[in-house]
Formats: sequence, structure tokens, C-alpha cells
Amino acid sequence: MKSLRILSTLLLATATLRAADPQESDYYKITTFDTPPGTALEVSSIELLPDGKLAIGTRRGEIWTASNADSEPANVKYQLFASGQHEVMGLAWKDQTLTITNRYEVARLTDTNGDGRADKFETVCDKWGVSGDYHEYSFGSRFDKDGDIWVVLCLTGSFNSSAPFRGWCVRVKPDGTMVPTCSGVRSPGGIVVNYDNEVYYTDNQGPWHGACTLQHLVPGSFQGHPGGNVWYDKAPNMGPRPIDPIPEAFQGGKKKGEGKPADPDRMVLERQRIKQLVPPVVYMVHGKIGNSSSFIVPDLSGGKFGPFSRQLFIADQSHSNISRVFIEEVNGIKQGVVFPFRKGFRSGLIGGRMNEKGQLFAGGSDRGWGAKGGQPFSFERLDWTGKVPFEVHEMRAKPDGFELTFTEPVDEKTAANPASYSARQFTYAYRAEYGGDEVDEKIPKITKATVSADKKSVRLTFDKLVQGDIHEVHFDGVRSADGKPMLHPIGYYTLNEIPAK
Amino acid sequence: MNMIRRSVPALATALLASAAFAADVETITIKTLRAQMKYDVTEFDVKPGQKVKVIFRNEDDMPHNICFFQPGTDVIAAANKQMDKPEEALKRNWIPDDPRMWAHTKPVNPKENDELTFTAPEKPGVYPFVCTFPGHAAIMQGKMNVGETGQRLPGLTDLKFELFLGNWKTLPDFAKLKPHREGDVKDGLVQIKVDDYKNEFGLVFTGKLDVPKDGDYSFQIASDDGGRIFVDGRRVVENDGIHPATTIREGKAKLKKGAHVFRLEYFQATGQAELFAAWGGPGFVTTPLSKTEHPGMKAVTKKGKNKNENTGFPLVVAQEPIVYRNFITGAGNRAIGVGYPGNASIAWSTEAMNLAIAWRGAFIDAARHWNGRGGGAQPPLGFDVFRPAELSQPFAVIADGATWPALEKGGRAAGYTWRGYELDEKRMPIFRYDWEGVKVSERYEVAGDALTGDGRLVRTLKLDGKIPAGALFRVASSAKITPQGAGFLVESGRVVTEINSDPKFVVTAEGAKLNGKDITLPARAEIKVTYSWPSLHGAH
Repeated sequence: MKSLRILSTLLLATATLRAADPQESDYYKITTFDTPPGTALEVSSIELLPDGKLAIGTRRGEIWTASNADSEPANVKYQLFASGQHEVMGLAWKDQTLTITNRYEVARLTDTNGDGRADKFETVCDKWGVSGDYHEYSFGSRFDKDGDIWVVLCLTGSFNSSAPFRGWCVRVKPDGTMVPTCSGVRSPGGIVVNYDNEVYYTDNQGPWHGACTLQHLVPGSFQGHPGGNVWYDKAPNMGPRPIDPIPEAFQGGKKKGEGKPADPDRMVLERQRIKQLVPPVVYMVHGKIGNSSSFIVPDLSGGKFGPFSRQLFIADQSHSNISRVFIEEVNGIKQGVVFPFRKGFRSGLIGGRMNEKGQLFAGGSDRGWGAKGGQPFSFERLDWTGKVPFEVHEMRAKPDGFELTFTEPVDEKTAANPASYSARQFTYAYRAEYGGDEVDEKIPKITKATVSADKKSVRLTFDKLVQGDIHEVHFDGVRSADGKPMLHPIGYYTLNEIPAK
Repeated sequence: MNMIRRSVPALATALLASAAFAADVETITIKTLRAQMKYDVTEFDVKPGQKVKVIFRNEDDMPHNICFFQPGTDVIAAANKQMDKPEEALKRNWIPDDPRMWAHTKPVNPKENDELTFTAPEKPGVYPFVCTFPGHAAIMQGKMNVGETGQRLPGLTDLKFELFLGNWKTLPDFAKLKPHREGDVKDGLVQIKVDDYKNEFGLVFTGKLDVPKDGDYSFQIASDDGGRIFVDGRRVVENDGIHPATTIREGKAKLKKGAHVFRLEYFQATGQAELFAAWGGPGFVTTPLSKTEHPGMKAVTKKGKNKNENTGFPLVVAQEPIVYRNFITGAGNRAIGVGYPGNASIAWSTEAMNLAIAWRGAFIDAARHWNGRGGGAQPPLGFDVFRPAELSQPFAVIADGATWPALEKGGRAAGYTWRGYELDEKRMPIFRYDWEGVKVSERYEVAGDALTGDGRLVRTLKLDGKIPAGALFRVASSAKITPQGAGFLVESGRVVTEINSDPKFVVTAEGAKLNGKDITLPARAEIKVTYSWPSLHGAH
């Protein structure tokens, strides 16, 4: 008996040791496609076409169709559908027509003679401006429920807007009418119409952005960068121009821990002053989650991509990775949490799309901005292997802490121990200077961790929550019921609002 | 250009073999790359006084040649100078009349070959070669290195590695540590996979660096995580700490010809692991010292970068026109460039809703927009660039003696709506726009060959709808217009200064009249305008 027990303890130890090192690739597998010869497939947008085909738009202005990309990579077949566009940062298929967003137009491309190549390039809307600056990229969404395309227009450089509606989000109606919709955009990297018809885009670290952010495009809102607000006189539907955040007050290189909560350069304080200002839904914490947020892909596969149905998958150009975002609404404001998800893509990710089989297609380029992947361009696919990673599934704000749900039952002993968790709170100064450090760091105490009866969720109680702060929570000590550590034992929650209950 | 250097090691091996067994004649095969306006070999090495045979295979769709010049010749200027007097150049088949040229192939038609045999000059140096057909020289060139070093890429010999295990955040003092394992690196290239360790290890490479001649050398390193390079015990470049390999660090060293002690130190914490190193110096371009080549390293040296950023992606027209929407010099911010079969091209402006510029020869180089972030306007790659008029709207109703409405810089033509374009059965774009309720379409085609023959650009406008009374179409505008035959000789403003261009054109259109500086005609349902280049038909 005794020797048996020793043996089983040994076996358990071995099993624990092996399980101690879960790998992302065990759960999500990257498949790399060869790309068409003679070109650089710098994927900047992807759309699903009928019959399982894909349309792939590129920074070189080409649009390729790819057949069989849902099967073995050797089966993929490419055909050049169109070329010569000034960058293709948006693709939307409807009624046998591919609607594209290039640098200065939304246009409908049609193959009228069935040879697989577009021969009709009808401009739907070209009413926003373009100055010739490289920075003025234009990212177009797919259709919302009214058939509108939402376009986020990068500023002219980092600070200013030299052409109408640069630094704005505009909606293009099916008849070509352009409706100015939100101001305050800086440098978008991707845009999505979510399943509930809410529209989000990613913005990039820079002036007024201490980190990249996920932003909620509420019609009529100001997204935070005042550079484009000079165009309010051309947008009477938007009402009066918001008062400007005061850049001078917010200068002065605050470092980690140096800021004070009363400093005026706080998003949470400026929101009280500037009524149109909508805070970032999630800060994509700089250097940790990424440095250059790009595409947003919701998982609408109904479980075929794993346990994260309806969550958002957000890519990063410079880190060549994808992170996972869960959003909730508190006091009418969207906020949520970002978790690391999958790294190791070959180039800087820009364009992405998931099909109904739950296959996530992703591609990009490192041109002009380096990317960790190391390849100049790439087109890849991410598939769920069918194994469920042990992760925090959802993280919700509570009046005195957070509620975590997990993808599998937790080990009660570790999950109920507050010492299995740790947290820090910080924010970024909301100021005109480029980027910024994590400031105003505080270490809250986690006083209690209560495991639910079904062992699928844990209620964390903090000694103090700070509105407006990013709450970085570590789950290092938590184990699953079968002893696995977490694949990604960290989450960054942006607490715009603290719920009353 | 540097990209093509990669093909040289294979060539060098072949050269070594032939030098060993065939002894006296070096044979170099240079091919043209289809639709790229490039040679496949842009650099090769020979010894002084050596017999050299160049086999030239033209696999492109247009004629090319190879002309060898003396060291230091500005070959682009030498080739482009011919465009000043194209009739004479045509008689010479575009072989320059230039004393600095000392050898050349004959002009070689598509899919044909030629051979050229010469004795390499006794004087060591870099002898440029170039294609002297009009517009080709800017990108179609290479160099022959004459010198004793030739025939082998400079690099490392006797390379050894030491593998260390440990968890570091910065490079440790490896000299005080005991290696876990050591061995030889047979291929002489620094590499990360000397063992199966993926995390928490360090590597030190030591070897002999063969410096071909006295001079200044640059060393580059990019590593994930920290790395540094020592030459003769002196630290030349370092990028310590934990980071991705996206940053390339460069350091310089003044070195004497001969063997030097090379040492590279590297460590990997966890996650992604990568290691790249390269060097460059007098007489050779940036050359990898590592097994894997960093995509950004070739372009890091200043000289290479300037050269690479804006040239190297010529869009070469074959059977179908090529559409290129981007920033084009002289055509505003919403230009549509079209390169047509027949060696003529246009840039059309959807700001003015009008033809902005036209030219002959090569279409356009996309490198400015495809190598970097994509900013800046790109001038035509061809020559004889003209603009029919200052950029403004094509149709207007104006009072007698009034001037044509001008277009504000970056503005849009008032009363015009851009509708897009179609590609017809020949994939020729038909531009469509509305003006005052009239649906207008425009199509262009090249008749003949605008490079060597009597090519003309034919523009056809069709107007559908009620044309406003008194509406005029402006064919061209300039202070220098002289009637010529059935049309007009127009000297337009210079659009580009980069290349030797003659901004003159001859324009004909039925009913066209000269009013002041404008050539106009009454707007009608169909308007046909023909533009041609006087340099082509000797009508100066």
C-alpha cells in the first residue's frame, strides 16, 4: 500500500510537471499559406465570399481571391481579382459585389463577365479628404444592419488634420451619402461592426493615447484626439464642437508611480468636463499586449473557435500576435478586459476575418513599421485544436472587485486562496504628448476569493477599486480542478465605471 | 539592387570551379528578369587582366543591352543624355556615343541572346554596367568588381561556438562562465540552432574574420534577446536586454586587410529567439554573417537605403494596361496612373476630373509607395512628360475673354462628380464622371509605338445628356502654342526635373481653336483628341 501511494504521488508529480507548461500551440494552431508568386501579399483586409472563397486586399492595392483556404494549405488557389487600388483597408461582400475602402473612396467592384476579374469600379463615396501624407490610411467596416459602411480616417500625421474629416469616423450610406459620425480618431488599425450592430475600432499609441486602445464608435461622440475637431463646421449633424482637452496642462513626463489621482490629465476627470468624450473600452497595455493594434474579429462561429464565443480577437501589427477581449456595459459605457491569446504569427498582422467554421484568417506586413514575426508579409490561418485551454473566460466588474469565470472548473483550494492572485492599478496620462508611461501605480489588496458552487467562477474582493484605472490582475496560483496552471495567468481590465451592484 | 546579391554565392562557386579547371576564361551569364526591368546578376567579381565572356540572355518582353563603363561614370546620366537627341540615338540603336563606355553587347531583342568577350581591365575598381535603352538606366544596372579579392563573399572562417545555460536579463560575462557544450560551426555562419535549447541559454561565437582590404566596415546585429559583436576584443555593436529582433543596431570599425578576431555574444531568455548579423565594407555590399538573413538588414546602410527606397518596382506593361492609383507627380492626390500597351502612359486626376499628364517610355516605379510607408508623389518612369494644361476641369461655360476656372491645390472641380471606371474588353479603363447633369466617359488608347515608332495617344470623350449652352472643352493650354498642320505644337510646363524630358506635344482635335492661351472646342456628344510627341516625328 505504502509503496503504491509513493508511486502514485510520483506519477502525480510527473503529471503536474508536464502540465506545468501549457503551450498556446496545444490549443490554437497556426497554418501558414504560400502566397501568390510575383507579389507581396501584404494582407490589409480579408472578406468571406460565397463558396468558401476569400477576398484578400493588400497594401499594394491588389485584391486576390483565395479558394480552399479552409483546407490543407497545399490546396489554396489564388486569382487576382483587381489591382491598382490605393491600399485596400476594407472589404465587404454583398449582392455579388465587393465593396472596398481604399485611401479615398468606398467603391463597388463587380465582375460583370464572369472571368474572375473585376471590370467595374463604381465609386460610391469619395467625399472625405486626402492630402498626400502617407499617414492618412482609411479603414472601412463591413455593412451594418442599415447597409452602411463605417470608415475610420487616420489623421494627417500624428497631431493634425489637413483634409476634411481626417481624424473622424464617417458612415457611407448605400446611396453614397457621407454622414460624419464620430470625431477624435487618431490612427486606426481596424474596425468592426459587432454582432449587436455596435461598431468598434482600434486606435494606436501616440498623442492623447498612452497605449493602443479599443474604442466604441458611439454616433455623436468624441474619441479623444482633438486634432480633427476643426471640421465640426462641416458636420452640423454633430452639434457644437466639444471643448478641447488642454494639452499644456498635461505635459511633463510622468513616470511609473509619479502621477497623482488628482492630476487633471486623467480620462476619468476629462470625461466630466467634455461631455462628448467616450473613454477607451480597453487599453491594449503598451509593450505587454502590443504596440500597434490592428484588426478586430468577433468569434461568431458558435463554439467552433473554442470557448470564447462572441468575444473579440484583436491583432497587433508590431507584436505579430492576437489578444482576446471581453466587453461588458456598465452605466451605459462599454468597458472590458484584454488577455494575451496567441503569438507567433509570421509578420505584422493587419487584416483578419473568421469564417463560419471558426477558422480565423490573418495576414499582414511589416513594411514601414517593424514586426516581431520577421517576415515582410504573411497570410495565415488560426484553428482551434479542440482542446480547451484553462483560461479566464469572462471578467466582470463588481462594486468591490471582479467576478471571473473560467473555461474549466477550478481547483477550489488554490482558487479560493487570495494569495493565488495579485493586482496592480495604473493609468496613462490623457495628454497631447506622444505615448506615455504607466502612471499612478497602486497595489490593491485582494481580501477575498470566493469560489462558486459549480467551481466555474470566482468572486474577487479588492480593498479598493479606482475608477478609470487599468486593473492588472494576475492569476498565477490558480489551478484547474485537474491541476493545470492557466495558459495566460493575466488580464488587464479597464475600469471606466464601477457598477453599483 | 542588394537583393540580387544573393545569387552571387552560387555564381562564385561556379566561377571558382571554372577557374580551377578551365583556368583562363571566366564565363558570366546575365539574364534580364521578365517584366521587372532588371538584370538577374547585378554584381560579379573578376581578376585584373582576366579573359571574361558575358553571355547575355534577354528573357524580357522588350529589347535590352549591356554597356560597360569606366569606374565612377554616372551611368544614368550617360544613358539618359541620349534622350536629348532621340533621332540620333535611334540611329545608334540607343548605344551611347560616350568615350567612357568600353564594351557593350548589341541591342538584344526579346528572347534572344548575345555574347561579349573582353579582357578585364588591369586597373582594379568597380566598373558599372547598364542598359542604355531610354528610361531603363535608372534601375537596370550592375557592377563588375575588378580586384584580387573577387570570387568569394567575405566572411568568417574557423568559427566555433560555446553554449551556456542560464537565466539572464542582460548579457552576462561569458568569460567567467563554464560552457555547457562547445563545437565547430562548419558553414561559418552564426546561427541560433546549435542545440535544441529554446529558452534560457547563451551563445558565444568566435572565429577569424577575413578583411579584404583596409577601410571602414559596418557591423549589424539584430537579436531576440541581447547580442553584441567584438572585433579584436573591441566592442563594435551591442543591443543588450530583452527585446524582439526588429531593431537593427549598427556599429563601425576601421580595419586593416587581413585576419581579425571576431566574437559574437548572445543570450535568449524565453519566448521568441532570433539572431541576425551582417557586415559591409569597401568593395562589397552588406553581407550576412548569420545563417538567417534579416529582412531589414540589407537596407540599413545609408547608401543602400537611399538607393533602394524609391527605385526597384517598375510596373512593366505587357498586353494589358496597368492601373496604378496612388500619389503621382503632377496629378494631385487622387491620381489614376495608366500604363498602356504601345509605350505611353497617363495620369488622370479625379480631383480635376481631367487628364493631368502623359508621357512615353516606361510606366512608373512603385517603389516609393511599396518599399516604405507609402508617402510622397512618384514621377513617371518614362520621359517626354507633358501636361495638356494646368490641372483643372475639362468643361466650362465661361464669358468671352474670361479665364478658365482654376483648381485650388488639393481641391475638387466644382460641379463634377466622380463615378468610377470600367475596364472594357481590352481592359482599357473608361473613366466616368458627371458634369452639370451630363454623363461623361473618357477612354484612351495608344496608336502605334510611342517609344520608337510614331505612337499617338488617342483620347475619346463621350457626353450623354443635355450639354449646357456655350459649354467649351479645353484641349490644352500654354503660353507657348504654335499652329502646326491640322493641330498645334504646345510647349507645356515641365512636370518633372528628375529625368531629361522634353515637355512638348502636338495636339489635334476637330474644331479646336486657339483663344489666348487656351485651345478649346465647343462641347459635343463625341470629342476625339490626339496627342503625339514631336520628338517622334521630327516636327520641331
